[in-house]
Amino acid sequence: MSFDTDRNWMYTLSGRNIHLWQWVETAATDTVGSHRVKLPAEYYGKQLIYPNEDISSGLRVEYTAFSEPFVAESLEDTSSRYSASTIAFVDGGGGSDTITDTANGFDFGTTDKIRIIGSSSNDGDYQLTNSTAGTLTMATGLLTVESLGESITIYQIPKSVADASVDESSHVNLNRMLSLAVVDYIKAQMKESVGDLQGKEYCMREFWKKLGDNESNKRNVSMTFPASPFAIK
Amino acid sequence: MTLQEIMERTGLKETGLAKAWIKDAIQLIRSQYPEKIKVDKQNIIDGEREYILPADMISLLSISVKDTTDNKYKRIRRISNDIVLKEDTEPE
Repeated sequence: MSFDTDRNWMYTLSGRNIHLWQWVETAATDTVGSHRVKLPAEYYGKQLIYPNEDISSGLRVEYTAFSEPFVAESLEDTSSRYSASTIAFVDGGGGSDTITDTANGFDFGTTDKIRIIGSSSNDGDYQLTNSTAGTLTMATGLLTVESLGESITIYQIPKSVADASVDESSHVNLNRMLSLAVVDYIKAQMKESVGDLQGKEYCMREFWKKLGDNESNKRNVSMTFPASPFAIK
Repeated sequence: MTLQEIMERTGLKETGLAKAWIKDAIQLIRSQYPEKIKVDKQNIIDGEREYILPADMISLLSISVKDTTDNKYKRIRRISNDIVLKEDTEPE
């Protein structure tokens, strides 16, 4: 049984691989009956060992990814959101699976893509095939039966567009500020292609500036200064 | 913002080139800022130390291991020193 994994587990990186290590402070042991006993003659001490147990879905890697560069609708238009504890999940067997809401509070488009969080076993992204105030319908074989009671949130996410289907009406999967940064990036590439390196540098500065602005927009930093007793106000 | 709007703002005529440069820009943005975060989970196997980084990874944010006493994933530390063991021909 793994415990205090933040203190007892470590990793190294080797190319495209992660090497997992467990930190143990152990001695040589043997099992007598149902008791594990320490052997007095041998001592191993502190050491790194390979993982010494199976843990289902035990390793979690969080990373930034290059996925879905283009979507069918702008991020600003995907604002539908609903939270309630009156939502239930119905496995339709051979027919369509459905999500029902006894409070009739759904407000999604008929072919919206949605993300579910807070459920016991149905968290994930789903493509709707129909939508009414009380029922969301999707393809069969997607949902697990779950009765109402959990506090569940469902919100709309943009539909991705396959690379081969991207056309001029497709949206970049970025918010407006970052889309403007992309415009600067393309201008920089165009200037570089005609040998205007000074122009390229200017556009790249604008690109990085917009990236910085986008990040600082997420942070509300307040600064306070002690007022001098002799300060003139 | 649509691909068409970006092309009009920049004066770029070739759609294919616009797509390629937009992808380059997105790659650059996501390598610097965690704009789109993904999570990959793998089984830990007794006696196996090597696991694969996700193929679509741009930058690594964190690695966690499940604490089975409370079923929570806890961030683990990277060993900065070079490990002496390079190849194990007789793992446990």
